[in-house]
Amino acid sequence: MEDLILELKEKIIEVLNLEELTPEDIDPKAPLFGAGGLGLDSIDALELIVLLEKSYGIRLASAAEGKNIFTSVENIAQYVSQNRKK
Amino acid sequence: MEREWAGTTYGNAWMHRWLIRMLRYIDIRVLYAFTAIFVIPVCLLINPSAGIIYRYFRRQHGYGPLKSALKTYQNHCQFGQVVIDKFAMYAGKKFSMEIEGIEHFQQLAKKPESFIMLSSHVGNYEIAGYTLSSEHKPLNALVFFGEKASVMDNRNKLFAGTNTKMIAIRPDMGHLFEIDQALQNGEIVSMPADRLLGSQKKLQLPFLNGTATFPYGPFSIATLRGLNVVAVHVMKQSARTYRIYVTPLSYDREAPRQQQIQELAHQYVAEVQRMVEHYPTQWYNYFEFWKNDEC
Repeated sequence: MEDLILELKEKIIEVLNLEELTPEDIDPKAPLFGAGGLGLDSIDALELIVLLEKSYGIRLASAAEGKNIFTSVENIAQYVSQNRKK
Repeated sequence: MEREWAGTTYGNAWMHRWLIRMLRYIDIRVLYAFTAIFVIPVCLLINPSAGIIYRYFRRQHGYGPLKSALKTYQNHCQFGQVVIDKFAMYAGKKFSMEIEGIEHFQQLAKKPESFIMLSSHVGNYEIAGYTLSSEHKPLNALVFFGEKASVMDNRNKLFAGTNTKMIAIRPDMGHLFEIDQALQNGEIVSMPADRLLGSQKKLQLPFLNGTATFPYGPFSIATLRGLNVVAVHVMKQSARTYRIYVTPLSYDREAPRQQQIQELAHQYVAEVQRMVEHYPTQWYNYFEFWKNDEC
């Protein structure tokens, strides 16, 4: 799981162009959206949807599902480890 | 200052119904004249839009004070006309459409892949933009979630039997899933590319003798899956005629992602500038659009 969390952090930094951050700067338990975390917004969610699809073959079914998954890097890693197709 | 657009048509349901009924029986030019003589002068006195548009003509077009004042009046009159035209369309009135670049739309519509149509608040997109839908490829139009029920009802009636669907921009991420689903299904997605809607991510771009803020989202969505993009603008030519401009936009799909976004955004803004230079009075963003105006 630690390796997957690191991989996700690196991919998130790359796709969201967060060049000023390193994987160590991202707390895996911190919220991704809103204040107190990475401060991502709705358009970033779409990037994450495509990231899951392209990298792990996961297609999310609904906004509600995405909302539950994109709460933190740790949560995404957990979901990916249980649902990945590649 | 962040400026997310609330996005709703002025007036209540009763006013909209009354206007549509009236437009079934009277010539739109009568309403144009009434609006120009009795409504616009009052609007110019009480509404901050007069100052905003006056500065737009002075700074962005470099017009003198008198010409700017005259053009400000013309701009408001034309805005009144395009609103009247929109309701006239709901009332069943028809407008002549001249189309430039329809072949670009038709070529993309034949392909199995999705494509994006970008528009701005210039001219009157709603009166014709959605009529570009294809028989084989549904068109998904991104609309404001907060729009008045009467306007949405009329849009629904207008789109009934066509291949056009609406995706309402919601406070949650729901609309993004709908957009992504449509793009995965090979459909067309039409979205405004001049206002911040939902996402607050933005691009600062040179535009019409200044630097202006444009949303990051539309350009990000288009490049995310390497989609084809066309700019579509519908400009008013006369009381009963509009001209639709369909212009293909290109970007280097092998370039780093951020470069793709920048390339596409610059091309789009150049196209909006071409429209606004040709039709300076059909600019309908009534807020401080240029960075040098923000305080």
